[in-house]
Amino acid sequence: MPVALHGDLDLTDPEAQTRSRALNQFLAGVELKAFKIAQAALRHEDDALDAVQDAMLQLARAYAGRPPQEWKPLFYRILENRIRDMQRRRTVRGRVMAWLPVRGEDEGEEPDPIAQAPSPDPQPARRLELEQAMTALERSLGGLPRRQRQAFLLRTLEGMDVAETALAMGCSQGSVKTHYFRALQALRAELGDFHS
Amino acid sequence: MNPVNEPLTDFERNARVLLEESVSRIDGRTRSRLNQARHAALEAAAAPRRAWRWRSYTLMPAAGVAAALLVTLVLFNREPSVESPVLEGQHAVEDMDLLADSEGLELMDGWDGPFYEWASTENEGNVASDG
Repeated sequence: MPVALHGDLDLTDPEAQTRSRALNQFLAGVELKAFKIAQAALRHEDDALDAVQDAMLQLARAYAGRPPQEWKPLFYRILENRIRDMQRRRTVRGRVMAWLPVRGEDEGEEPDPIAQAPSPDPQPARRLELEQAMTALERSLGGLPRRQRQAFLLRTLEGMDVAETALAMGCSQGSVKTHYFRALQALRAELGDFHS
Repeated sequence: MNPVNEPLTDFERNARVLLEESVSRIDGRTRSRLNQARHAALEAAAAPRRAWRWRSYTLMPAAGVAAALLVTLVLFNREPSVESPVLEGQHAVEDMDLLADSEGLELMDGWDGPFYEWASTENEGNVASDG
């Protein structure tokens, strides 16, 4: 299969249509996890959405013609670069902002009555427990150094192997193992042997 | 770790379950925005050629209008000179004649200051006597 150098897909070409469908499927498969990863790093929903959107655009524009098996590490590498750019810009605006708690998308707006309604969940206690564990994990993840958090999320949430993670992080496989190991140690020290 | 590709530990498994649960709870608004972003990205992948065509057909007349406006602005904002444009034009034609005239060039080569001073005073005298 000939591979285009750039992401310029000519949709009148049946092969390009197939590629576009494959790209759609790929992006649909990663977008939610990518959003969570961006959110853990940026701690702001709109910024996380912007970062994922930019990464999608850049992958589609510049790398759609690359073999599909390269898309995942490329996409996460682009996403990480975008996250870093946003963090730098934010640092310039003021370091204090980075330490504020997670801001919800409805901040400053009227509370959503549907969201406020009692949950139909038959196990509210279990749900509460789960939510507390999730909150604790997300908070701990937010406190990890950037590279450790990245290695942990790409491996644990996205399920990437070490080679893919190394490509996505732009470092050696040895570095990935080190970052991952340190992330695990830090999380265990903070959370203990928590249960999901 | 299981840094390489060994089975996950309990801690890692629990963390994965929590993270996946967290992903599954992403609200509809965010999902919708991600969906829109994906479609925009897919359109962008096919867009460059169309965008270029659009630019080439749409921006050319606009660039023409902008250039015309710029020329008009420059012409209108020029400082008025002491002499009228007609006279300026005449001088330019005369200068061209001088340059094209081989005798003129010879005169310039053999610069004779006193002759030109005399010619100038003669001319002024004629003008005074005419007036």
